[in-house]
Amino acid sequence: MIRLSGRLRASLIIGGQGIRARKLRTFLSMVSLFLGVLAVVVVQAGAEIANRAMLADVELYQGKDGTRQMYVPPEGQAVPVALEVLEGRTDAVAMTTSRAIIGEPGVKPINEGGGPIDQVGDYTGPRMTCDQSGCYPVQDANSGAPSGQAVELQLVGLTGDVRQFRPFRPSQGRWLDFGGEPSLAPRLVLNEQAAKAFTRYHVPAEMRVDGATANPTPQIIGVVDDGGYQPAAYVRADELMNWMPVAELGDSSSGGGLQVLMTPTAVEVEHVLRARLVAAGTPEEQIHVNTVETLKRMSTELALMRWIFLGMAALVLLIGVAGILNVGLATVGERIEEFALRRAVGTPRLLLAGIVLAETLLTGLLTAALAIGAGVVGLQLAMTVFGSRFPALEGTAFPWQAGVAGVIAGLVAGVLGGLVPALRAARIPISTVMRA
Amino acid sequence: MTTTPLLVPPPPLIHLTGVTKTLKGQDEPRTILAGVDLTVRAGDSVAILGRSGSGKSTLLSLIGLFDRPDGGQYLLGGRDITRIPERKAAALRSAEFGFVFQRFFLLKHLTAAQNVAMALVNGQGWLPRRKRKAKVLAALDRVGIGHLAKHKPPRLSGGEQQRVAIARALVREPRILLADEPTGALDTETGNLVVEVLRQATEVGCGLVLVTHDHDHAAKMGRVLHLSDGLLRPAGQRVIA
Ligand SMILES: Nc1ncnc2c1ncn2[C@@H]1O[C@H](COP(=O)(O)OP(=O)(O)O)[C@@H](O)[C@H]1O
Ligand SMILES: [Mg+2]
Repeated sequence: MIRLSGRLRASLIIGGQGIRARKLRTFLSMVSLFLGVLAVVVVQAGAEIANRAMLADVELYQGKDGTRQMYVPPEGQAVPVALEVLEGRTDAVAMTTSRAIIGEPGVKPINEGGGPIDQVGDYTGPRMTCDQSGCYPVQDANSGAPSGQAVELQLVGLTGDVRQFRPFRPSQGRWLDFGGEPSLAPRLVLNEQAAKAFTRYHVPAEMRVDGATANPTPQIIGVVDDGGYQPAAYVRADELMNWMPVAELGDSSSGGGLQVLMTPTAVEVEHVLRARLVAAGTPEEQIHVNTVETLKRMSTELALMRWIFLGMAALVLLIGVAGILNVGLATVGERIEEFALRRAVGTPRLLLAGIVLAETLLTGLLTAALAIGAGVVGLQLAMTVFGSRFPALEGTAFPWQAGVAGVIAGLVAGVLGGLVPALRAARIPISTVMRA
Repeated sequence: MTTTPLLVPPPPLIHLTGVTKTLKGQDEPRTILAGVDLTVRAGDSVAILGRSGSGKSTLLSLIGLFDRPDGGQYLLGGRDITRIPERKAAALRSAEFGFVFQRFFLLKHLTAAQNVAMALVNGQGWLPRRKRKAKVLAALDRVGIGHLAKHKPPRLSGGEQQRVAIARALVREPRILLADEPTGALDTETGNLVVEVLRQATEVGCGLVLVTHDHDHAAKMGRVLHLSDGLLRPAGQRVIA
């Protein structure tokens, strides 16, 4: 161990001396290697960032990896029981879904069916229902009403802060406050789609919710990006229930039932919830729990892409290796006497090879450091230029994986480019010093 | 095994008997050494004279373990090292020998001190910095150029450069000094100085083998041998120029 570290130290110091003695050569071999290492760093960083961006978007509507999802069917007492179990919990949140129309009283929403506001007229229309005799529009409050300034959206009731599972990005105003008494005027947080609709059509505020006993006046307190394509609004479930019976939540025609999101460690809640639901008459086999595993699902496709790009980067790296090799061989040719002399004074062949290898390794590492630095600066620049266009990438730091890949690329290039010169150096006969 | 009685002198540093070496020339192989006998004890100084091409350097390269003999026997301090493997040879070169060549072989990019420190690198790695420095300075002082430690070779005269090379040979405190025409590139005065520095090393028990063309230098050694036809013979008692 001591011997090894002593030799390593000697190799590094002497290798460093060699590099300083031939700065121009070192620089030239670094130039060719730089692009190769940079390619590896960029590919790795790009893959890592793309991965994160994709995951960040998926997280918004699928939930973070590891989140446990339970679907509670609308039948029977399931929904009220679930809401009761989950009341006040922070490690599990229930989401109810209802259809709501916000805007001028008594008019048809401009996006009937709750579709994206940009695509009004494309495929939105009255909700249809079908039976044996065919399909026809559902008869509801809107039927026959005149079109007007109102927006149909999905109203999501929450029993707690859902952002620990789905990290909505705040864009305006505040998020819901789950502490304190419920307000009689339900506080809404819109998603980007809904906010867009409301800025385009200045709708007066009245909210019609399917199944509600009266139409409350909502207060819109904020806007978030939830990754969704359809207008939606989030509301405290208890504020919503001021206006509609619990039973209606389960019975709503737009979905129905509850979705419960739980942290991976919320085993106890899951257990209690399941037991209570079964006790309330929900068949055991109707209670499904699954875990979000987006990364695992996507990783095979992403990995393939990454390997293809890394393959191309490796080719560029190979050119850099050829550069180091070329310079290294030329240098050994020039240093025959030095190496013969070193052997004459007792430097073993292995250490001599180590010295030559140390030079290329140091060169490789130095290049890697520069390439990684260039990658970091490049990313920073790209962020300031394009950052605003890709909110998912906001605050993205340089991925450490790219740094590691760069260092490995530098080391590999150093070894590949230095091995042959090192072996040549070790084979120089000592008696060269006597023939000169 | 011979039993060594008490009061018998220790085995010689170098003991060559019937050493042969054949080198592959351009066409046919040439026998350069045809059975060389040589004994060097601690404190001995031996001059080797001979025509150019007679095999003096070849002989030194065998003694210094740069290469191995084809035949005969080589005992170093009584130990048979005729067929020693390269890894052990490197350790012996580092521990037992100091080399001085006609050309100085100093690395231009290193200071005098760093050039001397180069000989301290061996299979064990390197001495700690402080020890290294002390040894290097002592060696430079020994050849009288301690004040030039920080100078790089291009700024030194030929004599100073050769003295850096001698310091590099002395820094390990070797038991044997091998010098191959060390004054060949120096003027007479500087050459005399260099030979004197080498001779002084024998006063502290070093064995010295000096290959030279200069009969004056040879005359300063304790023994003068002549290499010709692959054999080493005494060059007569105290050869006169
Ligand atoms: N590597 C070698 N291969 C073949 N012949 C060599 C080699 N090196 C030296 N010789 C030959 O061996 C002879 C002795 O060389 P050398 O020992 O250098 O002589 P000296 O040092 O006495 O001038 C010379 O004729 C030389 O040409
Ligand atoms: Mg010679």
